[in-house]
Amino acid sequence: MTGTLNLVGYGLSAIGPAIATGMIFAAYISGVARQPEARSVLQPIAFLGFALAEALALFGLVLAFVL
Amino acid sequence: MRSLHLLKMEGEGFVPPSTNDFNLPPVFGDNPYTTKPILLVFLSVIVISIFFIMASRKAAVVPSKLQFAGETIYSFVRNDVARDNIGHEFMRFVPYLFTLFTFILTNNIFGIVPLLQFPAMSHVSFPYVLAIFTFVVFHYVGIRKQGIGKYLKDIMFMPGVPKAAYILLTPLELATFFIVRPLTLSLRLFANMFAGHLLLLVFILGGDHLLQGVIGLKLISPFAFAFGIGLTFFEFMVQVLQAYIFTLLTALYIAGALADEH
Amino acid sequence: MGVKDEGAAWSIFGYLLSGLIFWGGVGWALDQWLGTKYFLLGGLILGAGAAIYLVWLRFGRE
Repeated sequence: MTGTLNLVGYGLSAIGPAIATGMIFAAYISGVARQPEARSVLQPIAFLGFALAEALALFGLVLAFVL
Repeated sequence: MRSLHLLKMEGEGFVPPSTNDFNLPPVFGDNPYTTKPILLVFLSVIVISIFFIMASRKAAVVPSKLQFAGETIYSFVRNDVARDNIGHEFMRFVPYLFTLFTFILTNNIFGIVPLLQFPAMSHVSFPYVLAIFTFVVFHYVGIRKQGIGKYLKDIMFMPGVPKAAYILLTPLELATFFIVRPLTLSLRLFANMFAGHLLLLVFILGGDHLLQGVIGLKLISPFAFAFGIGLTFFEFMVQVLQAYIFTLLTALYIAGALADEH
Repeated sequence: MGVKDEGAAWSIFGYLLSGLIFWGGVGWALDQWLGTKYFLLGGLILGAGAAIYLVWLRFGRE
């Protein structure tokens, strides 16, 4: 069996952002469901949190290829 | 230890599914244009045509079951995808979006139809071509509507930013609109179909191999088959979802190109 | 979470990806040219920062 350990490392490092994205959108959905008028306040916060978490996942992806 | 050794012996003959399982030989003789994916794409066109001709031929106010099914799919694409996202000019794009949705959906579902069992979209060239169509359509629409200068200026320079930040941001906007968008559009569909088909292959072929092993392995193999069947239903969900997402993102890109400031 | 939100999430993903690829690519090219090792990391961080700034401009302000 051959392959590169980088991809295993990327798989492990993607767990964190995956959980983070799930928690961010879960909180956003339940917030909007409880109080629909709060949507315009919650939306930028949710998207910025999503962007920060996703940046880490993409860092892992890029580093798995270049290292 | 002995049982582990036996397990290892059993594992020797197993060839795990790989990308080679996607390169299927030609069906008729040596003609390279008659491989299974190509025939399936033609079959999907025939199936879609027959279905919607049958559904619309005897259109009545009180719809038959077939007409109802056709109308449900059509009104889903027209109302939920096109009208809600594109706005008042949506009717021009409904034919394209509807063709895209039914074509991708049929080809994806071929992945779990018995005997056919191959999603053509797991060959990357088919999603590439679809993404190129979408790319041409949404840029053409934007340039036609706003003029090429204003369209490019809207993409490259977003208002309300200090001048120096444009050095950082303009390349990103250009790369996003002209490279990353069509690339992610096609790769998302391709990767989902490819990984899904590979997953099913692993469980079904693995279960088949376990069935030929010693008695202990024979007892495990029903679990592998059960997992394979469960994952087939999961695959169905993924296939419908990917067809929807492709159509939805196309509609959103068209909407973004039509809007005065995105 | 409506349809618009889903499109926004995918376009955020696109911005981050192009930020990392573009500025990381510039850093990688500088590394190849000058024979150093640090521009790649710098470029990746710069690209992620620029992409998050762009996401804030586009989705974060009221």
